[in-house]
Amino acid sequence: MVKNVVTICLLLCMQHLSFGQGTITGNITSSEDGLALIGVTVEVLPSGRGTLTDVDGNYDINKQMDDSIRFSYIGYKTITMPIGGKTKIDIVLQPNAEILDEIVVIGYGTIKKSDLTGSVSSIKAEDIVKVPAPNAIQALQGKVAGMQILNTSGDPGADPVVRLRGVTTLNNNNPIAVIDGVISDVSQVAQLNPNDIASVEVLKDASATAIYGSRGAAGVIIVTTKRGKSGKNVVSVSVEQSIENVERKIDVMNGREFATFLNAIDPGSYNNLDALPNTDWQNEIYNSNTPITNANFSVSGGSNTSNFYFGLGYFGQQGILPKSALSRLTGKMNLGFDVTKNIKMGFDLSLALSDKENAPGVVGTALRAWPIDRPFLENGNFADVMGGNPVAAIEYTNSDRGLIAGLGNLYASVNFLKDFTFKTSLQFTHDEGRGRSFVPVYFVGPLQQNERNDLTYSNDNATTLIFENTLSYAKEFGKNSLNVLAGYTAQDSRNEFISGLTENLIREDDLFWYLNSGEDIYERVSNNFSRNTLLSYLGRVNYSFDSKYLLTVSMRRDGSSKFGINNRWGNFPSVAAGWNLDRESFFPKISFLNSLKLRASWGIIGNERIPGEAQFSLISNDYNTVFGENETLQPGASFNGGGNPNLKWEETRQTNIGINAGFLNDKLTVELDYYIKNTDDILVPLEPIGYTGVGAFRSIFYNAANVQNSGFEWNINYRETKGNWSYGVGVLGTTIKNRVTDIGQGIGADSLLVGGDLGNGQQVARTAVGQPIGFLYGYEAIGVFQNQAQFESTPSLFGQTVGDLIYKDVNGDGRITAADRTFIGSSIPNFVYGFNLSAGYKNFTLSADFQGQTGNKIFNGKQTIRFTTLNYEEKFNQFWTGEGSTNEHPRPTVGGVNYLPNSYFVEDGSFIRLRSLTLNYQIPSKSKWKINSANIYVRATNLFTLTKFTGYSPEIGAGSAIDGVIDRGVYPITRIFSLGLNANF
Amino acid sequence: MRKNIFLLSLVSIMLVSCNEDFLDQTPRSALTVGTFPVSESDAILATNAVYNGLRAWHINTGGFPILDIMADDASKGSNPGDGAQLNDYETFKHNASEGSMERWYKTLYEVIRRSNLVVNEVPKINNMDENLKQRLIGEARFLRAYYYSLLVRGFGDVPKVLVIDPPLDLTRAPYTEILNEIIYPDLEFAVSVLPEKSAYAANDLGRATKGAARGLLARIKLFYGDFPAVEKLCEDIINSGEYTLMSDYKDVFSANFEHNSESVFEVSAIPDSYVNGGNQYANTQTVRGTPNRGWGFGRPTYSFISEMQNNNDLRLEPTVLFVNEVIDGVLIVGDSPTLDTTYVNGVIVEVECYNQKVWYPGPDPNTSFGHNRRIIRYADILMMYAEALNENGKSSQALPYLNLIRNRAGLSDVTTTDKNQLRDIIILERKYEFGLEGLRFWDLVRTGKAEAVLGPLGFIKGKNELLPIPQSEVDISQGRIKQNFGY
Repeated sequence: MVKNVVTICLLLCMQHLSFGQGTITGNITSSEDGLALIGVTVEVLPSGRGTLTDVDGNYDINKQMDDSIRFSYIGYKTITMPIGGKTKIDIVLQPNAEILDEIVVIGYGTIKKSDLTGSVSSIKAEDIVKVPAPNAIQALQGKVAGMQILNTSGDPGADPVVRLRGVTTLNNNNPIAVIDGVISDVSQVAQLNPNDIASVEVLKDASATAIYGSRGAAGVIIVTTKRGKSGKNVVSVSVEQSIENVERKIDVMNGREFATFLNAIDPGSYNNLDALPNTDWQNEIYNSNTPITNANFSVSGGSNTSNFYFGLGYFGQQGILPKSALSRLTGKMNLGFDVTKNIKMGFDLSLALSDKENAPGVVGTALRAWPIDRPFLENGNFADVMGGNPVAAIEYTNSDRGLIAGLGNLYASVNFLKDFTFKTSLQFTHDEGRGRSFVPVYFVGPLQQNERNDLTYSNDNATTLIFENTLSYAKEFGKNSLNVLAGYTAQDSRNEFISGLTENLIREDDLFWYLNSGEDIYERVSNNFSRNTLLSYLGRVNYSFDSKYLLTVSMRRDGSSKFGINNRWGNFPSVAAGWNLDRESFFPKISFLNSLKLRASWGIIGNERIPGEAQFSLISNDYNTVFGENETLQPGASFNGGGNPNLKWEETRQTNIGINAGFLNDKLTVELDYYIKNTDDILVPLEPIGYTGVGAFRSIFYNAANVQNSGFEWNINYRETKGNWSYGVGVLGTTIKNRVTDIGQGIGADSLLVGGDLGNGQQVARTAVGQPIGFLYGYEAIGVFQNQAQFESTPSLFGQTVGDLIYKDVNGDGRITAADRTFIGSSIPNFVYGFNLSAGYKNFTLSADFQGQTGNKIFNGKQTIRFTTLNYEEKFNQFWTGEGSTNEHPRPTVGGVNYLPNSYFVEDGSFIRLRSLTLNYQIPSKSKWKINSANIYVRATNLFTLTKFTGYSPEIGAGSAIDGVIDRGVYPITRIFSLGLNANF
Repeated sequence: MRKNIFLLSLVSIMLVSCNEDFLDQTPRSALTVGTFPVSESDAILATNAVYNGLRAWHINTGGFPILDIMADDASKGSNPGDGAQLNDYETFKHNASEGSMERWYKTLYEVIRRSNLVVNEVPKINNMDENLKQRLIGEARFLRAYYYSLLVRGFGDVPKVLVIDPPLDLTRAPYTEILNEIIYPDLEFAVSVLPEKSAYAANDLGRATKGAARGLLARIKLFYGDFPAVEKLCEDIINSGEYTLMSDYKDVFSANFEHNSESVFEVSAIPDSYVNGGNQYANTQTVRGTPNRGWGFGRPTYSFISEMQNNNDLRLEPTVLFVNEVIDGVLIVGDSPTLDTTYVNGVIVEVECYNQKVWYPGPDPNTSFGHNRRIIRYADILMMYAEALNENGKSSQALPYLNLIRNRAGLSDVTTTDKNQLRDIIILERKYEFGLEGLRFWDLVRTGKAEAVLGPLGFIKGKNELLPIPQSEVDISQGRIKQNFGY
């Protein structure tokens, strides 16, 4: 009986618990870090009654006639399970990686990755910080096929040089950057803290970039920064300490070699070689083991209706060259509010405060100062050095630039009539810079002295305001999905510059580095202002049927104040289609090939990155003259250079076909693209023919050339995890075929542009039809005249003699003239590649990132520009000493015919570099410290470079593509060793 | 919702309606053609800017005294390593790629463009004094002729540019066309409208005068051998009574006697940087080292010095500044890497010395910018007159003018009336009178003596009478602009 009663009670209880009222409690944690999740929605079904988890991840909920329970949380997989008889249900939620990866940010919107028709590379936060990089641009290195990030200088804070799919134009080839919807420049991305970034999308083909119309010709990098999530607050801290050294020195002659060389020119100049000093000027100017410090801190979080992200970062780099330090403080704030169910507002703000010492320009001096001169006299004063004393130059250089850069976006969006969203935003970027440079009175030698101290102070500010309004419509009906966007933007950019100069400051210490300390009669001020405006209309339709067939059509119409009234507007359409073959019923269900998509696109993109006043011949009030018995200065005004009133839009037509494929359940992913870009009416500043009267060293912008770039690019990744082991291999590369198809519409040159001015009257680069842009041009050295008989029987240049370089008689007319100059190398690589390797065991990961290029040549300009006797590089030691001694190196001479632009000075710029090698240790999350996740790492940057190039780095950024690539002596790149720690609380 | 859509439409319409105005951004703080010159004060500004070219560093043969270096009165100078590319001018191995030529050529056309702005635009200005308008146009045409004369004398045939934006497919016009259609009409116009030196207000001293226009025209006519015209022009200048020879040769170039009675055309400068009114012409040439006043280019040759020494020529001391000389209380020590005396096989070939004609007293290199370059001197008018009279068969009438110059130099009278003999004497006299003034090379070229005098240095007849057209000009024009013979 008792037993029966108990049984009945139990049954009743069970029934009660199963079907009746009751309370269920539990705790929700994340599978990522095992920590509590706050604000998880807990609902009992079918009644739909719900609650949220508290700060410790706990919940309790009453059920009535409910039989199942659902847990949902943004970014995590939703779990629905039967309650059964349970009163306590603890759940570990898994992040919904699938959904996160599916959404890709594109211009003015987002799209499911499977619906993407354009060529877009998407990099997520974890990939950016997995291998910690010094800045956000470097973090993209080796992650995007077709993107080249050049490491051109080791100068702290040097602007990055980024090339996407080759050299498209002859002017600015940097892609634009769109940071949280604000159009700006890649240099702004470099100022961002990598830890603040949520994702980066790189738009490569016309379909993806055409929506940016005039701005997108060289590609678009979209950066989305992190936003807070509702729930618990997350605190992140990262610190990194590095030291850096010159990666390698340039091999120049030592004192004995130099004196030997001079003796060979002028016998008996130096009789006792052993008594000569031997100064290694590179050792004299470069510091070793200089520190770099990088520290970042952020807090993020939110509630149901708001979210926030605050970040603060510090970056300090001393630089290997004295007086080249950079220190930078960055702040980031992203705020979002749901004002009502349908109205959202937000404000994003980035601030960067930096102070940069402008590196003394002594690199070239150090490479060419006489090694037989000492830096100091016996009394400790600076010695007069032939070629200049670089140590003294550093001492007397005091130049720095401070910059406050702000970027903000205030926006609101309204959701109405269910499917419509109207978004309006007011965006701004503001840069406020100031520069100060002071040179004291000094005397090192007759050519290195300053008789009156002087001070220059400047202030520049650049403000861009963008008012952007978009209306979008998104609707799914049946298997059809339609997404329509229409927009209007107005952009207003203003730049103002003011600078003052004075001399004879009453005191020299830095308390007096202000214009008021100078003598009034030397005070000069200049001030100018420019304003450019841009108006745009944009529209885009994305249509997808059953996620199988995809179509994107876009159109942008831009008007720019940089062009005259007749050429002001440009139209930039694009169309793209995609086909997800893997969704077809006929697609074989095999695990080897699990996804396959075909893409094709075509579009036109414009370029207007020229100065706003390029269309005008401006009059300057600077041409004063002196008249009168008392010699007084009278003002004068006339042309200051020239302008081109007929300038029009530069346009790039790009066709792209591509394949995305996933193998072995996406362990192996393959992305292949083939592109052809035809850029017409390229805007380029050219020194016009002299009789135009523009003046020496002055250029005018012309729409001067058409260029074609084509190539294959691929990005292949393999990732595998087995037990405690994981490994990955990524290979990416681009072939680049760059060819000029037409040239010289109305610039006075029919088939060639001249560039690469060496500053001594010689131009070493040409751009001609059928050749790559800016190829190197000069005589082809084919040997050395060994004896008089050979000299007399071989065509030679006027002034040559035995021992000089033999230049090839290209046109075969029996004499060497300027007409025999020819192609002596392409400045553009034909293959750019990278590969990365990673291997992990338990919590350790070792990853290596290689980068390389082949096929480009570099002109060693720092050896040919010789106004006087200067030190030589190592290869001149092998000079011709008589018949049979060498057929490659000429006899020793100070300057002259052997130093004309010729192939003797052309070097191979191919290289392969271990860009970074990182060992990372993931600290176990269930440690005794209250840390969610933490990792500690060591990294070596630029560990080694394999190249035949003799300069500091073969990655030399040319100002303009038509100038070829000339090494004039750059701030060397450095080898960096870093130790870092990241932690989330 | 309707309210939202309404607002949206309103904003859009508002923005679209102001489109073209929004996109019209004229340059700030700078004028363009059409808005300048439009008034009397603009016309003065535009004309002053043409004079400014006379002080531009590049206008002096690309910055260096190349014409002196090419002649037998000067060598490269400076210290051996500095400006090594200029050695090629001394030995006539210079080629079209040397940068000085390009800077000179381009800058000449730059200032010609400034002249064209005045000549083409000032006549359109209404509300201004007509006399002033004609004078300003006359000044601009004088300077345009001067700049063009440097072009045709240096390069021969050159593109003819009379507009502000010339077509880009021009070829070289025959130099005779430049002479007959630009230089001669410009100077004849200038002679007709410009005031004499004495008729200018004191604060306009330095502007082009009737005398300067006649003098320049005479110099050009002399170069091309039109001796009757030279005779007439010089006669007019002499008869104008505006000029007299300075009694002491050293005062001719002195800072104390700027715009002296002998000065026909002179470039005023202030002892300060170019932007403050200075001219680097003297700085390029004057003493290098201690005191450090300049770069020391264009060193008087040892042969030039010894010839004057042998003649007891009083002009030697004011022309050449020697090491260890004291001038204006300053001891000239010179440059340490430069040898004071250079011997070859025991014979002196060069001594360190400097061009004293450009000496300007002052404490630092900047003050040397104050030297007023004398472009046309009355002494040249007299010498040209003497030469023209001799060539026109009036040799005996030439003698008094030649002897005026010789006597001032402490030299005895010349008495010969043999035309050929007298011609040689006059040309040689010019060498010492106008040493280091950029005239000697052209004297040798125009009289056909260049091969005999400069041949040993490397001068090639038929080639080196002209300078090379800058290689960049040939390259950019795709060879439409042809190179001079031999380069």
